[in-house]
Amino acid sequence: MNPDYNITQEELEYIERYITKNMTFEELAAFEEKLRSNPDFKNQVDDIKTMLLGIETQALKEKLDEFHKELPETNTPIEEPSKIRYLNIKKLIAIAAVFVISLGSYWFFNKESHTNLYSKYYSPDPGLPTTMSSSDNFIFYDAMVNYKRKDYNLAISKWEPLLIKKPENDTLNYFIGSAYLANDKEELAMTYLQKVTQLKENTFKNEAYYYLGLAYLKAKNIELAKKYLNLSTFDNSKEILSKLKE
Amino acid sequence: MNTKTDSTQIIELIKINDEGVLKTLYQSNFYKIEAFVLKNSGTTEHAKDIFQEAFIAVWKNVKTNKFQPQNNHSLNGYLYTISKNKWMDYLRSKHHKKTVVTSKLNHFQISNTDSLDKHDDILKENRLQDIMEAFKNLGLPCKNLLTKFYFEKKSMNTIAEELQLDAASTRNKKYRCMQKLRELALKDN
Repeated sequence: MNPDYNITQEELEYIERYITKNMTFEELAAFEEKLRSNPDFKNQVDDIKTMLLGIETQALKEKLDEFHKELPETNTPIEEPSKIRYLNIKKLIAIAAVFVISLGSYWFFNKESHTNLYSKYYSPDPGLPTTMSSSDNFIFYDAMVNYKRKDYNLAISKWEPLLIKKPENDTLNYFIGSAYLANDKEELAMTYLQKVTQLKENTFKNEAYYYLGLAYLKAKNIELAKKYLNLSTFDNSKEILSKLKE
Repeated sequence: MNTKTDSTQIIELIKINDEGVLKTLYQSNFYKIEAFVLKNSGTTEHAKDIFQEAFIAVWKNVKTNKFQPQNNHSLNGYLYTISKNKWMDYLRSKHHKKTVVTSKLNHFQISNTDSLDKHDDILKENRLQDIMEAFKNLGLPCKNLLTKFYFEKKSMNTIAEELQLDAASTRNKKYRCMQKLRELALKDN
């Protein structure tokens, strides 16, 4: 097998269609005949197969490292004993100074409106990984691509017909709500996100509470914002709540 | 969507490299293998390497229909068994490791290829390694494009839309990226 051969774009695509089984019956018959009669061609096909496998395998390998980094912790590390006693006076003064400065700037920035707080903490849900498949979920993932490209209106227009068929689906309700919120339509977003919190499935509940809290914050309804943020366990929720308390 | 996906669906999702399924498979099995390796004189780093190697082997076998699990449980069991065997093999071969430098040997044998099947397999494996190495070092634009196409298995139209190009230029770009990858793999050789 000599991997050093010339191949045109058409030839490459022709071979790829064979490998990915996208050939008509006639094409396939002709292709297989060529495979039998032409050993050089067969080598080329084998080599393209190896290339595709190599790309996929290496891409997977790199994905696995990502998964590894995101492994959930098994045992929570034991809280380290307080280090205060190791601090010397200089450090204490430095800390005190930082504290005074931050207190000052806190008073200064406390004028920071709720809208600012919202824009500081709000970032749209990143969406779900999309894959090309022939399944029923095709439209769902197709719309997810639009969502990720921030084409929220288009995503909503594709998801809503699906929701009519499956009104109780938590994923759909959650992402339509997310898309509306990303599009600054917090009132509409609330309806969908509230629905998510009322459903049995738990997958998106925590997120839904968090974004509901943010939606109410955006709408300047602080009482309800607090109520929903309290129901979510994200660190960000707690941070916002502590800022709202002051 | 439905969290209870049955095993045939899982297999199909693995074949199209569905990120969610692969991630779950990875993360829900790693610690079991780690525990085994740690108990058998290995380190966490060993566990990671062995597990990833086994994971790729399982993935390949699923792709080529060499393994058809009866249920989710058997897929996890399969991954565990392969990892375990790989680790045992490693322990057994540890002392001989330094004498086997296959990659160097094969390099010289390429010129006088003969009809031995085994020989052919080794060549193929070397070629695969070359391509993987080349792909690892390929420029990011090409790497992203080829990943979308061959790993994520997105359609040409979807990719064209994402790149804000028309389909014909995307196809041509992909072709040129493949050529680049081939060149790079030959150079590495």
